[in-house]
Amino acid sequence: MQKNESKGGGLREVYQRRMLEIRGAFEAGAPGVATVAARAAAVDDLVRGLWAKGVEQESRLGLGIALVAVGGYGREQLFPYSDVDLLFLLDGKVVEKDVKDAIRRVSQEMWDGGMRVSPATRRLAECEKFDGDNAEFTLSLMDQRFLAGDRAMYDKLARQIVPKLLQKEHKAILGRLVELTGARHAKYGDTLFHLEPNIKDCPGGLRDVHVCGWLSRLERIAAAAQKRAFVEIAEDDKEFLQAVEFLSLVRCFLHYKNERDDNTLAWQAQDAAAEAEIGLVGRRPKKVDAAYWMRSYFRHARSVERSVTQGIEHVRPALKVSKLAGLGLVRSGGTKARGRLVDAAHQGFKVEQGRVVLEDSADGDDPANDPDVVLQVFATMAGTGCTLGREAEDRVSEALPLLSAHLEEGPALWHHLKGILTGEYAGRALRTMHALGLLELLIPEFHGIDALVIRDAYHRYTVDEHTFVLIDTLHGLETLQSGGMAEWAQRFGSVLRELPHPELLYLLALLHDTGKGRETGNHALESVRMAKSVLGRLELDSYESGLVLGSIEHHLEMSAALRRDIFDAETVRAFAGKVPTPEALKMLSLFTYADINAVHPDALTPWKAENLWRLYIATANYLDRSVDDERVGARAESELVHRVSALLPGQKANVVLYLEGFPERYVRTRTPEQIRQHFKMTTQFGVDSVQLEFRYAPGVSELTLVTQDRAVLFATMAGALAAWGMNIVTADAFSNRQGVVVDSFRFTDSFKTLEMNASEHGAFVASVHNVMTGKVSLEKLLSGRRRARRKAPKVVVETRVDFDDAASSHSTLVEVIAQDVPGLLRALSLTLSAQGCNIEVALVDTEGETAIDVFYVTREGAKLDEEERRTLKQALLVAMEENAR
Amino acid sequence: MQKIEAVIQPSKLDAVKDALVEIGVEGMTILEARGHGRQKGHTEFYRGREYSVDLLPKVKLELVVKDEMVEQAVQAIITAARTGTIGDGKIFVSKIDEAIRIRNDERGEIAL
Repeated sequence: MQKNESKGGGLREVYQRRMLEIRGAFEAGAPGVATVAARAAAVDDLVRGLWAKGVEQESRLGLGIALVAVGGYGREQLFPYSDVDLLFLLDGKVVEKDVKDAIRRVSQEMWDGGMRVSPATRRLAECEKFDGDNAEFTLSLMDQRFLAGDRAMYDKLARQIVPKLLQKEHKAILGRLVELTGARHAKYGDTLFHLEPNIKDCPGGLRDVHVCGWLSRLERIAAAAQKRAFVEIAEDDKEFLQAVEFLSLVRCFLHYKNERDDNTLAWQAQDAAAEAEIGLVGRRPKKVDAAYWMRSYFRHARSVERSVTQGIEHVRPALKVSKLAGLGLVRSGGTKARGRLVDAAHQGFKVEQGRVVLEDSADGDDPANDPDVVLQVFATMAGTGCTLGREAEDRVSEALPLLSAHLEEGPALWHHLKGILTGEYAGRALRTMHALGLLELLIPEFHGIDALVIRDAYHRYTVDEHTFVLIDTLHGLETLQSGGMAEWAQRFGSVLRELPHPELLYLLALLHDTGKGRETGNHALESVRMAKSVLGRLELDSYESGLVLGSIEHHLEMSAALRRDIFDAETVRAFAGKVPTPEALKMLSLFTYADINAVHPDALTPWKAENLWRLYIATANYLDRSVDDERVGARAESELVHRVSALLPGQKANVVLYLEGFPERYVRTRTPEQIRQHFKMTTQFGVDSVQLEFRYAPGVSELTLVTQDRAVLFATMAGALAAWGMNIVTADAFSNRQGVVVDSFRFTDSFKTLEMNASEHGAFVASVHNVMTGKVSLEKLLSGRRRARRKAPKVVVETRVDFDDAASSHSTLVEVIAQDVPGLLRALSLTLSAQGCNIEVALVDTEGETAIDVFYVTREGAKLDEEERRTLKQALLVAMEENAR
Repeated sequence: MQKIEAVIQPSKLDAVKDALVEIGVEGMTILEARGHGRQKGHTEFYRGREYSVDLLPKVKLELVVKDEMVEQAVQAIITAARTGTIGDGKIFVSKIDEAIRIRNDERGEIAL
């Protein structure tokens, strides 16, 4: 007994000594792969020695039992503090309870030797079956290796049972492997870009390296079964092998540093790894900091993630398992998209089984070199959720220099980018573009935040990944959600659907943190500076640029306002000062919702979302209710005046005169160019007192009237548009101190009159002009109008007429909420006129089937008294009822 | 040892935290909360829809301090959180039998 104990002690001492030698070699620069193999060899010797000792003590262990290394140990990849997976394999004759204690004793000795043993005891027959609920066991058997005991029984396992099992069950095993991988990725938010990643389990970690190995072997079996060519998955790829070595080095480093099986690359560990230059080869800066080192980590992890994703995409079509749906293999909702994928051919590429395949070169022209084709590929990915095939990825990657040379900027590039950003799966397409270097080719400003780690206690992701998660969150608002955030996602989703220019919100999201790549102390302003350059290249107009740049500059303001008392009118007023228009408010509110969510999976709580919603509606109400009182003053030095007069040299005094008295809303919702145009229209009053400006667009067109104020003006314009079958979506009416009115109507073309007949544009404007000048009777025009067929409403809107006497110092605010039906605006404005009310300001909006019309009215220059309000309300209700018939 | 639970206006959180840190209290738990006392909710309208705010957003702080620190901590919270209007919040103080630091099993005030 004593002899045996001393033998065991000797083995343990030898093992401990070898562990120290292996550590010493690692610290002296031994490769990671060699380090883990050396530990496996040392463990082999210890396990075999202890087993031999155990057999000496208990003869029953000598028959019908084999000791098998499985899992990582079976692969001869034992990291310094990893568990040792051991299988005690029993044949049918061994009675388990007879050997149970002896096996436990051997395992205990291994623990005493400093190893964390994970033992499993199985009969040979149990290894023949695949259990979907314990797929890990079958996967571990794929990496089995003989250690000691009954060699013949092991040979049966390795040469007959496991190959037969894989042959028979390869599809089911593949299916579970894909499911397990998807679930693990989902646990890490489907991203590798964590500030403190787990280098084993995160996407792109060592577990994915193993998955690639298993996929490859199972694919080989599947290909043989289907008598088709076998496709190698990653393992011969140089970049992949470099990544494996890097990750192996880092995991060894972490184990030695923490002296336990801790695989989290925490900040301190990043600093230490950077200082020790772990895994870095070739050129590097004189002093390697953690940010530089982490970029190296992300580059390698990205290579592994790419391989595992492509491997899974490759095997997926062969899987018969339908349970994959909902597991979000690569990105949340990814598999959902697949259901909608339709194979399709495009110019230069086609979509096959959810993957983009580039066409072959024809006459020396490779579609991969054509920016239009490549950008259309990514727009298709964004729109459908399909992925880029491996061969296509390689070709696009190689084509980058040529793409750079042929890339056309300006509206053409914006058109493509818009298509990508507004696609439901934009995040996925952008990540692929980013990984290939294409995104940086289009927007070099993005380079600074590539895999950038900004350390704080709240952020989970790198800056670039935060941007993509933000974009994912916004697109997620477009679909029905469940869970605790469903109510808020639905509310903010309704705001998203109202946005006139959703593409600008996504552009804001893409660019808002680009300034973090430079240490200036104010990343919002730096982002504005960088975004200016991007927007200039895309040639956005000044309104669009202003909206995006203003939102980037103030992108933290709403979060900041949430830390104040959001029920305090002063907080709302101060915040409203940062968002000049309702569109800007909507954009910033949606952005803030998604920005908080993209910080950390738990950062956006229903509590925060509710507060954000309160601030949003309080500010929206404030913007509508403050319009009448916040007017442009007679100050020649004001910024507003300066911006417009800069476009009209020598006319500053007249510009001041023109702008004075307009609600600030007018100046903030128009570009300086538009205001200059309106001003110039006033100078033509001598020739024609009714000036019209028409801007046609396929979706929503706009007609602006500039004239001297007079009775029933707004109602007449609304009537003229109704006579042409135009459906007014939004409208506003403003006037200045001199009585010049600017009424703008944005409308859709119900009968496609303008869309189908470009020649009708002139006739349309002339017709409205004739009505406004009185040459043609509106009633006559209306009598001949085509009535749009009224469909039963999907949502019935309850009619409300509310008054607010406190919103303005000199007008009464009338807010009408009603079912949006043709002719409503004319009915309302006519009634207001008939009741002797003058419309000082009108703000007309439509939200789905709800019309929300706000009028600031006066009667004989004063607010309405109680009796007048009561009468007006009754008249409005009657008018709406009659119009709806 | 005593536990101080303070329900305050969210907008006062930073000021209260700073005030507590200033007197040497650094450990605290902060919870997002909703509630009302005398300050009832109210109703808001947005585009014709009614949004009633029955429960107002609040923040709840929990901290455990040594007996001799209790009054100082309570005063720090009051000074930083008070506006003088309804809705400023409440503070509750209760006795604590034991505190244990999970990392090293330290017990009593040393674990605070």
